[in-house]
Amino acid sequence: MADGTDSGFSEGQPSGPGGSSGPISPDLDPLNITTSTVDLEESLDMGAETPLDCGPTPRSFYTLFTDGEGDPKAAGDDITVFTQSSLAGLQLDDALASDVHDLFVTVDDPEKHITNMESYITYRVTTKTTRSDYDSHEYVVRRRYQDFLWLRERLEATNPTHLIPPLPEKHSFRRLDRFSPEFLKTRQAALQKFLSRIVDHPTLSFNENLTIFLTAKAWELASHRKQAQGIMGKMGSSMRSMAAGYMMKNRSPEYATMQEYVNTFGAKMGTIDRINQRLLKEMTDYEQDLREFGPVFTLWSNSETELAPAMLGMAAGVEKCEKALEQQISDQEHVFAPPVKEYILYAEAMKAVLKRRDSIQMEYELTVEELNRKRNDREQLKMSDQSYSLGAFMGKDPEEVRQQKRTKLDAQIEELLKQVEVSNDNVECANADLKADLERWHRNKRRDVKEVFSELCDRNIQYYQECLSAWEETLQEINQKSELETASTLATPTSSCPDTPNLATPTSSVTPPLPATPTKEGTEGGASEGQEVTQ
Amino acid sequence: MADAGSDSAQDVGSEASTPSSSKRVTSLLSVLEISVTEPERRTGVSAINMKETYTVYLVETRITDMKSELLPEIFTDETFSLWRRYSEFELLRNYLCVTYPAVVIPPLPEKKIHMMWQKLSGGEDKFDPDFIERRRAGLESFLLRVAAHTQLSQDKIFHAFLHLVEAWKETVLATGYQNKMDSRLKTLNAQFRLKNPDRRFQDLKNYSSELEANIANLLKIRERLAERLYGIHKIHANYGRVFSEWSGIEKEMGDGLQSAGHFMDVYAASIDSMLEEEDTYADALKEYLYFADALRSICRKQELLQYEVEKLEDKLVYLKAQKQQMEQGVDVKSGFSLKGMTTKLFGADTPEIREKKIQQLEEQTQQTEEQLQAAKWELSTYIDRSLQDVERFKRQKVRDLREIFINYSIMQIKLCKKGVSLWNNTKECFTKM
Repeated sequence: MADGTDSGFSEGQPSGPGGSSGPISPDLDPLNITTSTVDLEESLDMGAETPLDCGPTPRSFYTLFTDGEGDPKAAGDDITVFTQSSLAGLQLDDALASDVHDLFVTVDDPEKHITNMESYITYRVTTKTTRSDYDSHEYVVRRRYQDFLWLRERLEATNPTHLIPPLPEKHSFRRLDRFSPEFLKTRQAALQKFLSRIVDHPTLSFNENLTIFLTAKAWELASHRKQAQGIMGKMGSSMRSMAAGYMMKNRSPEYATMQEYVNTFGAKMGTIDRINQRLLKEMTDYEQDLREFGPVFTLWSNSETELAPAMLGMAAGVEKCEKALEQQISDQEHVFAPPVKEYILYAEAMKAVLKRRDSIQMEYELTVEELNRKRNDREQLKMSDQSYSLGAFMGKDPEEVRQQKRTKLDAQIEELLKQVEVSNDNVECANADLKADLERWHRNKRRDVKEVFSELCDRNIQYYQECLSAWEETLQEINQKSELETASTLATPTSSCPDTPNLATPTSSVTPPLPATPTKEGTEGGASEGQEVTQ
Repeated sequence: MADAGSDSAQDVGSEASTPSSSKRVTSLLSVLEISVTEPERRTGVSAINMKETYTVYLVETRITDMKSELLPEIFTDETFSLWRRYSEFELLRNYLCVTYPAVVIPPLPEKKIHMMWQKLSGGEDKFDPDFIERRRAGLESFLLRVAAHTQLSQDKIFHAFLHLVEAWKETVLATGYQNKMDSRLKTLNAQFRLKNPDRRFQDLKNYSSELEANIANLLKIRERLAERLYGIHKIHANYGRVFSEWSGIEKEMGDGLQSAGHFMDVYAASIDSMLEEEDTYADALKEYLYFADALRSICRKQELLQYEVEKLEDKLVYLKAQKQQMEQGVDVKSGFSLKGMTTKLFGADTPEIREKKIQQLEEQTQQTEEQLQAAKWELSTYIDRSLQDVERFKRQKVRDLREIFINYSIMQIKLCKKGVSLWNNTKECFTKM
């Protein structure tokens, strides 16, 4: 952790703007781990007492994100598709302390930019704040996806112990058109969510990279980004993190449990996403067939007279269902699928932060091991015979050699003690950060799941209700005509007696001829009577 | 579709149920009920001495009004039943077609699978229970429609079909009905050589083609829709499974997810009964698909009869012209004529021979005129009767189709209501989480 001093303890401080707290107390005995743990837990408990499920949240906090109130730009100018999308409408993550609610960010207004080299989209990022470390109260900047990527990378690098919210995926796979309005709206909402989560995080919201992101002019940001590329990043920790998971001795089982949970959760989200895709495909095919179904009735109605209204009624019913399905499909793709994808990415982010925590613990353990080795060496030195050492061989006095070695080891042990102390603190901080972030994440996940899936149910309900009223209408139409019809047939009694030979419509003027015919008639009409049925 | 229940059967058949018709009870169906049930497999020996397996159906008749005058005398018991196989139904239908050409004879369910999309859904096997069941329903409908027809229901062979256990087949053949069948060739000839096709029957032919095409189209798309809907519902079972698995790793959300998963399973399972019901309406529509064929038969018969008339008219004209020629001697201006040739070759006829020939022609003319009269009368009667029955058919069709549409709509409404309730239940699982 490059600037790790402010990350671990700010949660415990209930007050103060800006929140970068003091360094680690030098009184702590580096090897007396329990003391430091106790302190930490106490401070954590303090933090826990500040209600995590913030009871009455300040009204101003919500106005920004409810539809139609407060800042009209908040929900996005052009969002006609979502009045209550699961992303834009979701509440922000709960904050630990009420005074963190002094920074508000919105993302909207996607615009296409075309240059000679490429074309891309920028979004307007509006910031409103009362924080003293911001020069102004309001900022409006334009940012593109790459800028968000940069921000996230920087946050991860500077806060490896924290769970950084995920960004939406770089590419959309189903739609090749990355400029389509639906894609832009989905992405905008996801970016909004991303920033809101960061802004709401007690530590991350004070990160200087965030400030730069929110306030810098385009050229300023560009120069920062170049700088970041110059720094090679934390290569060391990434290498250690690979082995960490397998080699730790003292990892408490709760982290294994967390790991398992995250893996399973990610897998389940992936499954749900795949089910969504399949469902989408089937529904699309179904809609196509429905589109053909209605016209068949219409076509048929052309060759029927009395049944035409009933058939047209059927056609109308089918068409209304098809419209309802269209909406359902769009919602399935644009409203329900994105949050699921987001949580898949969140699971990945969680895996990453767990890994980083593991690697920090690994570092601590390695340091402790080293320290113990050196101490062991020192003990060994007391009893060893230096007469055969290299120094003696070169003409030095064995006792002097022993003393030199002793001094060296002492220095090393002194150094290692300090390192152990530092890395132990790192572990504690990392654990605390992780724990808090995960707790928050679980709470939010529960709320998100509730909301997203309830809305899925709502949309299905709406779909069925629309279809229901469509078919009820059709039924009415079909029945109605039947009454009309009986009314009309009552009016013309001649046509209603089917079995009296209808001689009213003469087809020929031929008179029934000669005697030959009656037998003919007899055989035709009464063929059965002429037959003797033998039993 | 004519159902087994007597109420709807009454609707299908006797006109007594519609308020518009007279109060008279006009068909057999008003005094008895017929049902086709219990298909059974039998093995026997076929006509070519090979072992064959076939299905028989139980045809049960139950008389509801023993005192009715409509009842044939042979129906002495209140209920009676016997077994019939498909080929016997076919025989009955062929007999009726030949004997009552002016009637739109109800169709039988298909013998073989015609359409590809049916093959794919497993309907090819004639012992497939689904196929047998749908055939059974079709056979029942056939008998009910025959019983509902004023004329057909009085037929003795039909009565025997319901009642005669032994040797019914021989009885039918004994009627010699096959002799009355019109030859294919004659029919084909008639189709193409009519000088003045009757406009009404042309229209009827066109109508039947349209009916056939429209229904076939409808059925094809319906089948596709059914498959897709089935797929969509079954995919939700996957939701059920994943929710259940997911609930295992969650603490507070576990119960909610578990119940939601259960509802998804219910949703997936609910489609089966709905599609079964939809199949019955599809079958009812299919019946009318086959009716189109019966309509075309009517048209063909009319063409045949008209062809006979036209042929006779032509013959008459020819005979008269012949006679004229004879009387006036050879007409040089008529160009080539056989008479002219024979005269040149063999010498002109003697007056006696000519007289004799003229007399012959007069006799022939007389005969032909009589034949023509008869044919014309047959044609006009046929036209009257057939158009009348076509009207009856059309009215019946309107009733039947309307009922099908109504039932289909009601089924959709039911499905939608179930959907609303199910998703409400599922939503509760989540909101209570």
